[in-house]
This record gives sequence, structure tokens and C-alpha cells, in this order.
Amino acid sequence: MLQPITHCNPTLSRREAIASSMIGGMYWSLSHFLSLSARADNQSPKAKSAIVINLGGGPTHVDSFDLKPDAPAEFRGEFNPIDTNVPGIQISEHLPKLAQCADKFAILRGVSHSIAGHELGTAYLSTGNRPVPSLIYPGYGAVVSKELPGSADLPHFVAIPETPQKPGYLGVRYAPLRTNAAPKAGTPFSVRGIALEDEQSIEQFEKRQKLLTQLDTTFEGQAANSKLLDGLDKFDQQTFDMISSPRAREAFDVSLEKSEVAEPFGESKFGMSCLLAMRLISAGVRFTTINFGGWDTHANNFKSCKENLLPQLDAGLSALFNTLATRGLLDSTTIFVTGEFGRTPKINDKAGRDHWPRAMFLLLAGGGIHGGQVIGASDANGMGPAGDIITPDQAAASFYHSLGIDHRKEYHTATGRPVMIVREGSVIPGLFA
Amino acid sequence: MRRILTSVFWVLTLSESVIAADVVPAVDRRFASKTAETPSFQRHVLPLLGRLGCNGRACHGSFQGQGGFRLSLFGYDFEADHKALTGGDKPRVDREQPEDSLMLLKPTQELPHKGGKRVTVGTWQHRIIQRWIEAGAAPAKDDDAEFMTLEVEPKEIVFQKLGESKPLKVIAHWSDGTQEDVTPLCRFRSNDEATASINESGIVTATGKGDTDVVAFYDNGVAPVQVLLPVSDRIGPKYPSVPTPTKIDELVVAKLRKLGVVPSDLCTDEEFLRRVSLDMTGTLPTPREVTDFVADKSSDKRRKKVDELLERPAYAAFWTTRLCDLTGNTESTGPLGGEQALNREKATQWYLWIHRRVKDNVPYDKLVEGIVLAVSRRPDQSFEDYSAEMSAYFRKDNPVDFAERDNLPYFWSRRTVGKPEDKALSFAHAFLGVSLQCAQCHKHPYDQWTKQDFDQFTAFFNGIRFGDSTRDRETSKKMSAAHELVGDPDSGTYKRKFQSLLEEGKVVPFKEVAVPVQKKVAARAKSAKSNPKLGRVITPKLLGGEEVIAGEYPDPRQPLMDWVRQEDNPYFARAFVNRVWSVYFNVGLIDPPDDQNLANPPSNPALLDYLTAAFIKSGYDMRWLHREIANSRTYQLSWRANETNQLDERNYSRAVIRRLPAEVAADAVELATASAEERRQLDEDPINTRAIGIVNGHVGAKANNYAATLFGKPPRQINCDCERSNEPSLLQTVYLRNDEEVLKRLANKHGWLNELYREKNLDRDALIREAYLRTLGRPPTEPQFELARAYFKESKDNVSGLRDLLWALLNSKEFIVNH
Repeated sequence: MLQPITHCNPTLSRREAIASSMIGGMYWSLSHFLSLSARADNQSPKAKSAIVINLGGGPTHVDSFDLKPDAPAEFRGEFNPIDTNVPGIQISEHLPKLAQCADKFAILRGVSHSIAGHELGTAYLSTGNRPVPSLIYPGYGAVVSKELPGSADLPHFVAIPETPQKPGYLGVRYAPLRTNAAPKAGTPFSVRGIALEDEQSIEQFEKRQKLLTQLDTTFEGQAANSKLLDGLDKFDQQTFDMISSPRAREAFDVSLEKSEVAEPFGESKFGMSCLLAMRLISAGVRFTTINFGGWDTHANNFKSCKENLLPQLDAGLSALFNTLATRGLLDSTTIFVTGEFGRTPKINDKAGRDHWPRAMFLLLAGGGIHGGQVIGASDANGMGPAGDIITPDQAAASFYHSLGIDHRKEYHTATGRPVMIVREGSVIPGLFA
Repeated sequence: MRRILTSVFWVLTLSESVIAADVVPAVDRRFASKTAETPSFQRHVLPLLGRLGCNGRACHGSFQGQGGFRLSLFGYDFEADHKALTGGDKPRVDREQPEDSLMLLKPTQELPHKGGKRVTVGTWQHRIIQRWIEAGAAPAKDDDAEFMTLEVEPKEIVFQKLGESKPLKVIAHWSDGTQEDVTPLCRFRSNDEATASINESGIVTATGKGDTDVVAFYDNGVAPVQVLLPVSDRIGPKYPSVPTPTKIDELVVAKLRKLGVVPSDLCTDEEFLRRVSLDMTGTLPTPREVTDFVADKSSDKRRKKVDELLERPAYAAFWTTRLCDLTGNTESTGPLGGEQALNREKATQWYLWIHRRVKDNVPYDKLVEGIVLAVSRRPDQSFEDYSAEMSAYFRKDNPVDFAERDNLPYFWSRRTVGKPEDKALSFAHAFLGVSLQCAQCHKHPYDQWTKQDFDQFTAFFNGIRFGDSTRDRETSKKMSAAHELVGDPDSGTYKRKFQSLLEEGKVVPFKEVAVPVQKKVAARAKSAKSNPKLGRVITPKLLGGEEVIAGEYPDPRQPLMDWVRQEDNPYFARAFVNRVWSVYFNVGLIDPPDDQNLANPPSNPALLDYLTAAFIKSGYDMRWLHREIANSRTYQLSWRANETNQLDERNYSRAVIRRLPAEVAADAVELATASAEERRQLDEDPINTRAIGIVNGHVGAKANNYAATLFGKPPRQINCDCERSNEPSLLQTVYLRNDEEVLKRLANKHGWLNELYREKNLDRDALIREAYLRTLGRPPTEPQFELARAYFKESKDNVSGLRDLLWALLNSKEFIVNH
């Protein structure tokens, strides 16, 4: 374990503090730094589970959570800001429901990096590590399922309907269960592998399992000498528990949810995915991720945002925050929302915006995170960070911190190389309540 | 240098107990008491710091340093380390007042030291540092003798009982002929603490039965010593007589004999057939094949089966997949821009190019040459002709067969190998089985490679570029303009247009892999010489080999390929032999197979030497290698252990139970449940119908390899054999138990069950037997027969009973492993 240089503060090393205070030409006073880092420090983790929402394609920051009403016309865009339920914080007029629960989440502005490609950008934002050619870093879901093992009869990591996150050097054991589809409103929903409806009844499954146990005897007594056989036996038991117990099946079936609970989520794919994520977390699944694509708005940015993307996001996400809060689960669940980058503040000739990693937004909520605040800022036209940069590494470190995972913990790759969960990260000062 | 020689002379004349007349005794004796000798920075001081842990990554070797003082990680940057010790605002060395040097006061904790107490005043360690400072703290000099090799005594340790100990003695050889006992200056490591431990003085202790290596490190020398403690008392004259019909068997048993490990018996015919079919062709045998093979009474039927399998389409398909793993064939890393839409088709071409050569058994070195030396266009080819050639591979009507091309340039056009460093890493991984990643930034902790070695090796790849033709920019523009192919090449519109033009059979300009003309190389070499930052000449240098004047070759990769082909090349043929071996035996002779390094020696060096030499002698004949391995008795041993070999997983005394490779597992479900017609297609056309075929270079939702991915298909994005996973996982079990893909194969509408569903008179026992043969490649045992009959009786009808039985067999451990 690399020793932090300063002893007073395990979350922010002196080097990082100096580095972050130098970037953007801003110099913090030492006392300012100390007061902030002390705040970051005094946090005991609260979250036991997490939801990561990937806005695939790169959502436009200046039209959603970082509006620039005073910017010149070629930057400003068509949307107006509205007030939220937190005085002083404004977001897009097409996010009215989120505006009414802005006290529940923190908005990070001026998050910044330099990778403008979808795949690598996504890899960066899904791991907190800038991608390198020699190693595939594990995504949030893999790390969380390794660090916080959940109950045996539930999948530990569910992707709705899929995810760009990879288990990387942690191996296939930490790969997600993909639902491959989003649920439809009012329709029973089941997931491949977990379902036991048409093809197999529970009774039949148990009958088959009994036959399997009786005939699978060739390697009896060998498990002690073979890690593989031992592993197969363990997964056999766990699979049986998961499929035969109603817990997992019912967690996936969103049609079992009361209509007054389901309604606010809306009937869109994303809304229904949020409803499913909420049910899974309530049932005890550790980690759920939702993939919500379509944000790559090179053309017709305003039309797509206004008519499609923002309303879906608004309904689904606000319902997710509110329902978790009502159920008393928001404190024990960290929610992380972002895409791979922001979009060019300057509008292109197709009324679109292009890839822009220099400035983007990120939402963090639950898990002891202090909602109703904005951290960081972008400059006048949303081109880059104003003042201190917030890096994807810091966001990742903060995410792990909320779950009580030390982001400096080292794993060893197959070749024995030591690698930290997030090497360059540090907890964002002021984020936690 | 002169000073060292003087001091050596001084020691030699004064010391009475010199072991050999020409070996300088160890520093712990020479510096045990007051001495006038001046230690050398390179030979004594830095190794001592390494040994004390000062340059470890948690201490001053950290890239940020520690307490404002940084050493090069794991040493070897003598210049920088000397500067760090003697220069800067706060030098660690005080030449005026040596006793006030931080370098003495910190590690002795006379001043606070976060790293704790490392050195005690008055010891030889303290005296070395003190004497070096007193004598002026001189750096290493360019004309100092070079370190040559490390020699360890004894060469091998065979223990008799647990707890027994033996010391190692390590001698360093220098280019001026001097030799020194450097045992107290070495770092030591055991590759398996549960078998043998080694302490910091180099004393080896037996901690468990079996064998491993202990390794000594000094300068950039690495010397392993095999240590073993027999597993049983069946050694020497007590070792039973074991047949060794092949050279492989002789060499395997030679080691087992020392270890007291007796190999298992030969496996059964059914076991052999299933095992070799899976390992060699990635395919389950058919019930008919099993029955025929068992019934065959000829004594050489196993040999004949091996020959037969090597001619099957599935052999070429499966081993092409392995070679695609190595070379990194995936559509996901193809180039961006106009050609981006072609990346899936290029991955297909890549597969088919290799496939053609595997099928035709083109020698391995020839195959590799076609990849390594590839440039996109022939020297005499105009840009128009080149673009026409490329375009013709992608047209819809009658495309030209890409596999006919002499070479495959796509290895070099991957986005992941844009920089020369990336090319060097990828080349070393794919064709040498060597990991150089560490040396990219610092001295390799376990191997000889230094950062300079890496930089020099990288120089071979400096000129290779992929992109728009620099010579023919105007022609290229004209060609595009003719088809109105304009705008941003990264836009969707451009890419779609690019692709549709090609499909229509139009000629569009292609990017190319090219090497600079000779002049440029020379110029580059010259500029490298004056690179002040490195202060050293960057001459291309072969790994562990000689420096090469790249300018003499039109293509800097040519001398590299020549070197690779030399009979004594330490890596190329070995890496391939070892990787093929690892597929048949679950572990490589060197394991992991892409980690050929001095501290990770082969478990059986004689065997790897033999196979490598014989493979080269065969003319790099891949089929020869497969035949040689599969025909050995060693390969044909049972997985059933005896009391001496139940824990053996690295000496090949029994078959190791391992999970089916990802694509093979995905295919196995299909094969075991296939109708006769489906099976025929899968066998005849594996490249288009199976997970071991073309599809394995494709990615994304449409690529249809959910199962293969779940079972650990390598993404082929990084340089590591570990990308392929044979680990079990919860979701794999969930998949086999209850996934719609598997259940569909058991529904009445598909495959074998569909055939049976329509039949009226089904023979229950025949069905049970066939279900076993299809999945496990053997008939049921009598109790298993009874169990199945009883189950059928309680079932609605024979087909539903069979469906459940087939489900249970597909879910058995025996099905998902090779054994």
C-alpha cells in the first residue's frame, strides 16, 4: 500500500491538494483546503447499495443541469432555466420534476477530462481510471460486487438492459446479469435465467435439479483438490437458491408494483428501468446500472432533448429519488448519473451539439451525499471548468467513499501487478453532508 | 573502475579465505570491520539500497518519491539515483561531513525516518554507505565494467525432509573478468512459499512437498534455482517402472522420478476421444464416433484419430480463434473515420486470412511474417491500384478473397497500437510471450529488462505508421471528390457513404500501413542520438540481443523478423510451443504463458527445450506440434489421481480437470442438442456456424455471442493472455440451468428433440444412452442407467423424460469440464 504523504488526512494527499489547487490558476489557501478536507474526512459511509445511470452518447450539460442563459445566442440554446426547490439552484425548464426534488441530489458542474471518443470516454467514466492499453479496469458494478457481497439468492450486479461496464482484471465472476430488455408498463417482467414461467415450473425445476444431483457423481470427493470443481458446486447451490426462491423473481417483476408507486416513473423505457432498479435495490440487490442511450445529439439537439430525452429523464429519475426517499432507502443507496462527456456549447449547423469532454455534469445522490447543492462550475459559456476542475477520478473516489470502499485499496492483476481501485482519485470536498 | 580494481586487489591480497582464487569475497565480510576499501555505487551501494527496500514502490521508489527523495523504482537508473542522492536542494549525501549525511542518519533513525530503522550503526551495511560517502560518493562511470551474468550455487536443491535448509551463494560476473560473491547484496524471492521459503541471506528452507523455484536478483541479473522436496518415498530405485514411449514422456517422467510422483494410468478410450476432440477441435464427438472408436480394435487407433482430427474443419477454425486471440483480432479496435464501418468485415477478413494458413498448415514463422512485415501496398503499387485492390475486397458482388493477399496489415492498423511503445508491447506479447509493460516506466521488478532496453526495442517500431497516404494526398482527394465523398470522415453520413460506395463496387481511397523510406530512418536515428533528455543513444536493440543499425534495412521490422527466426531465438518458437502446450494441459510449461521472464522459469526446462528445438526443426509445422503432444502418453493419462499425484497441477502426472474454453462451452450446448442436419452443418462449416468461427472477432449485441462472452471469451483489447478466462461464475451456471437460449435447445421445436418428437416408437434405453454419448461422450454406468429409467417411468412420456435428462446432463460438472 502506498503511504499517503501527509498523515493528517487519508483522503486527500498533499500532492493531490496541490495539484487540484494549481489547476485553472486557482490557488487555495491552506486553511481553506484544510477545512474542506476535514469535511470530506468526517464521513462514515452510509450506503450499502448503488445505482449508476449511464446517459450513453454524452448528455448536453448546457441544456440540462448547467444552463447559460446569458451566453451569446450561438451557445445559449433554446431552453430557459427554472428555479428548483433549493433557492439559488436552477436547472432546465424541461426538468420540472427534478427541480421539485433538487434537495435530494448534488449537481457537479465543470467536471472535465480530455477523451472525446464514446468508448474510451465511457470506460473512463465507468471506472474512474483513464483507460490504458495494457489493462482493463473493472467498472463500478464489478468492484462493488466484490467489495460488498450481497445475499446468495439474489444477483449481485444487474444491468438494465445492458452496460458498457466491464469486470476487467477482476474476472468474469464479477460480470453483470443483463436483463437484455427494459420492462414494459403493466406487463409481467422476467429476466433470462431467473424466470421460471412457461418453460419451467418451480416444481419441474426442482425435479430436474434432483435428477442432476443424483447423476452428477463422477467427480465426487474431488472438490477438495480442485478449485474449479469446488467453485462449480458452490455456484450450483447459489443458482438453485436464486431460481427457486421467489425473492429474485418477484424483485424483477415490475407489474407487481402498486400503480400509485409505478405511475410517477412514467411509461418510457427509462422510467420503467428506474422502477425496476428501485425494486431490485429494495429487494437487496447491491448494484444496479441503467443504460439510457440516445444522448449523442449531433443534430436536432433541442427537439430530441425537449420531446424525448429530458422528459424521460425527468420523470424516471425524480420518481427514483422520491420513492427511495419515501421508503427510507435514499440514505443507504448511492446514485450516480452521468454520461461519457458533455456537448459543445457552440451549436453546430444542424442544431446539434458535438462531443465535449472539457465540461460536463454529473449528479450524485444518497449515501450520505449532501443534496441540494452545486459543486464546481463551468465558465461563462460552459466551455470548460471555472476554477477547480472535478475529475472523473474524483467522482469515482467519492462514489466508492459513500459505500465505505477505500478507493486506494490495491488489487493484484493476473500477472501480480498491484493496481489501486482508483489511483488518481480523492473525495470531492464538501460533497458529503 | 580503477578504484574498484585497486580495492579488489587489496582484498585479494589480504584475505586468507578466498573461496576461489578469482572470486572476491562478499561485502559482509570485507566491511565487517574498519576498512580502507571504497565500495562502488553500481556494484555495492545501489544493490544495498535495493536490498534494504529503499527503492520499493511503497518507499522512495514511488513515482512521487517519499519525504522529498525519490529513487528509480527497483533501481537501475544509476545516473538519476546518483543525482537524487548527491544533488538537489537537500542532498542526501554530505561530502564535507560524511557523518551528517541524511543517507546515514535517516535509515539508522538518528533522524526521524518514516520508513523505520533499516540500518544499524557499525554494521557492514552502514560501513558501505559511510565509506562510499567518505571516498567522495562517486557515480557509476560510462567506462565501468559492465555486469554480465549472475551465477548461483547450487544449481538445484533436492531436499530430503521438511524444515531442511540450504544456503545459496550468488556470484556476479563483470565484463572485466572480475567475479564477486554478491549474496548479501541480492534480493531473493520464492515462487511458492508453500513449497520453499528463502530468507534475506539466501537460505532456502523446505516448507512443503513438491517443487518450485527460488530466485536471486542483483543488478539486472536474475537467477532461478529449482528446489524440490519429494512428494513420496518412491524415488530413486524405489520408483516404479513407468512406460515412456515418447520423448515428451521421457522428459516428464525424468522430473516425476525426482519428485516421487507416479503418473496416473492411461485414460479410457472414451475419455481420450472427448478430451482430444475438445482440445484439438473444440468439438464434442458424436455418439457414433464414440461407439466406433471404442469398437475399433487396432492398436494405433489413438494415433489415427489424432491425424483424422487435424484434417477436420473444426481444427482450423478453433486454432484460428487462438491465433486471433494472440494477434488481437476484434472489430472494436479497428480504425475510425471512413473505414470505421468496415471494421466488422475486416475482423472477418483477419479471421479468414489466418484460417487459410492454418488449414493449409503454412509454417508458423511464415504465417507470423505475413503479419509482422505487412505493409498495405506492394512497393510497385500505385495508390489508385492499392485503393482499387482494397475496394474490391469489400464490394458486394463477387468480392475478391482477402485471404489470397500475401500479408495481413490489420495488426498494425489497430487503434490500440498507435504509438511505437504500444506496437512494441503488442509485438512482444503476441509473438515473444514476453510482458514488457513494467519496463516501459521502470526496471522490471523480476526480469532483466530496464527502461533503456524497452526504449531501444521500441525503436524498431518508430517508423511504422497507419493513416492517409502522405505521398498521394492529392490523388486521394481526387478519388473522393469523384464520388462526392466529402465532409467530416468521422460523421455518420460520411461513413455510410463510404460503405455504400464500396458495396456498389466503386473505388474509394484507403488508409495504409506503411514504413518510411530508408532515408527517413537514417535521419531519425541521427536525431535520436541528440536527444538530450535521455542522454543516451537510442539504437534499436533486440531483446537480450544485439544492437541493429536500422538504417541498413528498408523496413526496420526486417532485422526483428530475422532475429525471431534464428534458431537460438530465446522467445519466438518457445512462446508458441508453450501456448499450444497450455491448451492441452491447462497450464503452460511457463505459466502464465505470456510471462516468459527469467524469474518465472519453465516447470520442466528440458521438455520445453526439446519441444522448441524439434518444432523449429519440423519447419515450424503446427500440425507436427499438435501431433507430438497429443500422441504422448503424458497427454493420454487419466484424471484419476493416485496417492502421489493428487495435488500435482504443474508436472503433468495426470490430466487436470479444466473448464471448457468460452466458445467451446457455448458450442457444446448446441452440438449436444443438435439434430442430424444441424450437426452436419456445424461440422462442415464451423467458421460460419459456430462460436469458434468468424463471429469471435465481432462485438456488440448483434454479434450473437452472449454465451461465449459469459464464459470468458477474450475481448482482445489488451496485451494479456489473461483476457481469456476459464473461471467459473454464478451467471454461467444460471445460464446453463435456466437461460432461454439453453431451454430453447430443449424445446420440442428444435434440434434433436424435435426429430424425436415426431417419432412414435422410441427405444427408451437407446435414448438414455445417446443422451450420455452426446453430452459426456460415454455411455451411462449401470446405476446411472437405472436412475434414468426410473425417472423416465415417472415422466409423462419418453421425450419429456429425455428433455429432463438432457437438461441434467448439460448441467453436470462432467459436461462443462474437459477431463
